[in-house]
Amino acid sequence: MTGRAPAPATTLGDVCATARIIVACGAGGVGKTSVAAALGLVAARRGRRAVVLTIDPARRLTDAIGVSDTIGNEPVRVPLDVSGEMWISMLDVRETFDGLVRDTASTPERAAEVLDNSFYKSLSQSLSGTRDYMAAERLFELSADARFDVVVVDTPPSRNALDFLESPERLARFLKHPIVRLLVAPGRGGLRLAGAAVQPVVRIISGIVGSDALSGAIAFLRAFDGLESEFSRRALAVAATLRGDDTAFVVVSGPSADALDQAGHFVDELRRLAIGLRAIVLNRMPPVFGDVTADEARRIATSSTGDTAVAHRFLADLATDAEGANDRTGGFLQHARRAHPSIVVAAAEEMAVDIHDIDSIATLADFLAH
Amino acid sequence: MDIRQFLTSSRILIVAGKGGVGKSAVAASLALTAAHQGMTSLLVTLDPPGVVPPPHERLDTMMVSPGRALVDYLSAYGLGRLTRRLATSGLVELVAQTAPGIDDLLVLGKIKSLERDLRADLIVVDGPASGHAIDLLRAPRVLHRAVPGGPIGQQADDVLAMMADASRCRTMLVATPAMTPVQEALDVARELTGTLGLALGPVVVNMIDDQPPPVDATRLDDHLRRAWEWAESRSRAQAGAVSLLERSLDTGRLLLRRHRLSGPGMVEALAIDMAAAIEAHSPGASR
Repeated sequence: MTGRAPAPATTLGDVCATARIIVACGAGGVGKTSVAAALGLVAARRGRRAVVLTIDPARRLTDAIGVSDTIGNEPVRVPLDVSGEMWISMLDVRETFDGLVRDTASTPERAAEVLDNSFYKSLSQSLSGTRDYMAAERLFELSADARFDVVVVDTPPSRNALDFLESPERLARFLKHPIVRLLVAPGRGGLRLAGAAVQPVVRIISGIVGSDALSGAIAFLRAFDGLESEFSRRALAVAATLRGDDTAFVVVSGPSADALDQAGHFVDELRRLAIGLRAIVLNRMPPVFGDVTADEARRIATSSTGDTAVAHRFLADLATDAEGANDRTGGFLQHARRAHPSIVVAAAEEMAVDIHDIDSIATLADFLAH
Repeated sequence: MDIRQFLTSSRILIVAGKGGVGKSAVAASLALTAAHQGMTSLLVTLDPPGVVPPPHERLDTMMVSPGRALVDYLSAYGLGRLTRRLATSGLVELVAQTAPGIDDLLVLGKIKSLERDLRADLIVVDGPASGHAIDLLRAPRVLHRAVPGGPIGQQADDVLAMMADASRCRTMLVATPAMTPVQEALDVARELTGTLGLALGPVVVNMIDDQPPPVDATRLDDHLRRAWEWAESRSRAQAGAVSLLERSLDTGRLLLRRHRLSGPGMVEALAIDMAAAIEAHSPGASR
């Protein structure tokens, strides 16, 4: 962290107008990807060139934004009538990893050797650990891309949504691990000739995963040797970018107890990682109809007849949902403010029909900008 | 369909779905429904359970965590002694990196051994908490290709055979009644039955809202009318999502209402709905 104080922001709209990177994190099912898209739109409305990097969007969402099925790593511009620009890009794990290998390899031959390796091929398929790391790498690339002022990203769906923050360091640590260093140590011919210290480990691991898989892995690590230091350096640069003052973390949550529990966990994790939280989005809040409380509606229902009674009984249910959501989110916000005193909070109402076109994303953006 | 017949037609039900769809509550309610039917049931979770079923003498719970499964496996293979010299985390990571998905496979292997040991009449597996339950289901196929032969390759083959055999194991997807989750469930169903060759059970549609009551909305006060209209259009959207599911998938579906409850009480209420939904379910006849 540098000593510079983050730009003061009073609304989420201000955050979108100033941050260079916006990371939307939250549990699955809270509408994180829709929120990321809406934040990109808010930034574009404020005249900025925004790119939304989505890790794993529902096909329907990319349809909604009006970008084709062929969307991949290369950002596609969303046709919009706003002063700025909104682009969208979907993480292609394999392509990102290939590009990283080509960038870091000393020679094209060295790169080809890695890219052809069978272990590399299985590693670079979209398995969660790799996906986390490539998401961080791709975010780093886009943030350095002169075409964009701000990158908005939704976190990948891993077991722990914040794994992705630590993934570059984890990989760097892995490559520096003594066992890995011993396995790739120069001057040793093959598996058979690996140093005495690792022989038993090699034997056991190859007993578990098969010697072909292990040979492949070792060949990969050897081919990677030398790329390794550049790779680590880059991993640490990615980690530093994510912790920079220009990066705004936004925790997205729905009003359910489950979602808020997990959001509370993110809030604590960010604090543990010494990362400032800039904003909280309470998404899919039950709408409020009029100022009748659930109790009042219930009282009216019992003291009236016909449609008035029926309608009030129904209204009481909806009001109960809204009041419950208010209580739960209130408790959560109190907790979040203790850990991160200067957060801004935005709430968006649940829509009767879920996000299905660019207009519904625009409605979500309206909620978030205020 | 007869409830008991449904619950005994496979030994294992794997419940999978994205975050926020109430997957854990659905899994717990399936296990409880089986216990209500006089069967012994075992609820297996991969994470510390978020939703706990009410206590029942025939219902048991167990946690099988992927990380733990891998460490146990490695110790069993004699790495325990060595890991005292070489940092454990790095070694476990090396194995995990060498054979990605191995931890997920070991979880499924553990479930397979619970089935073999006849641990319960029905084993219900509550899939991973967040992200892709599909990573777990994909693991045996990936490893079958990546590390053929050897104990892990063998394990992958055994698990694949188990998951393809509907009399042993079926996967049940959970979705909420909106277009995006339903569309995603359909995509996942396609991959599971196509590429992965798994046996699929009916899709659970959870958290269906009550329809607004049949009143003449035009004569209501403004705020009541707005509430009614909002609920009405949401109900219509939900019905549309359910009907898309019906048209696109012939495994049938189980429809569950939204409950304004939490914890064991929620599981109890869902189990009652679950029993009714199973009775209303006709396998393969939804087209």
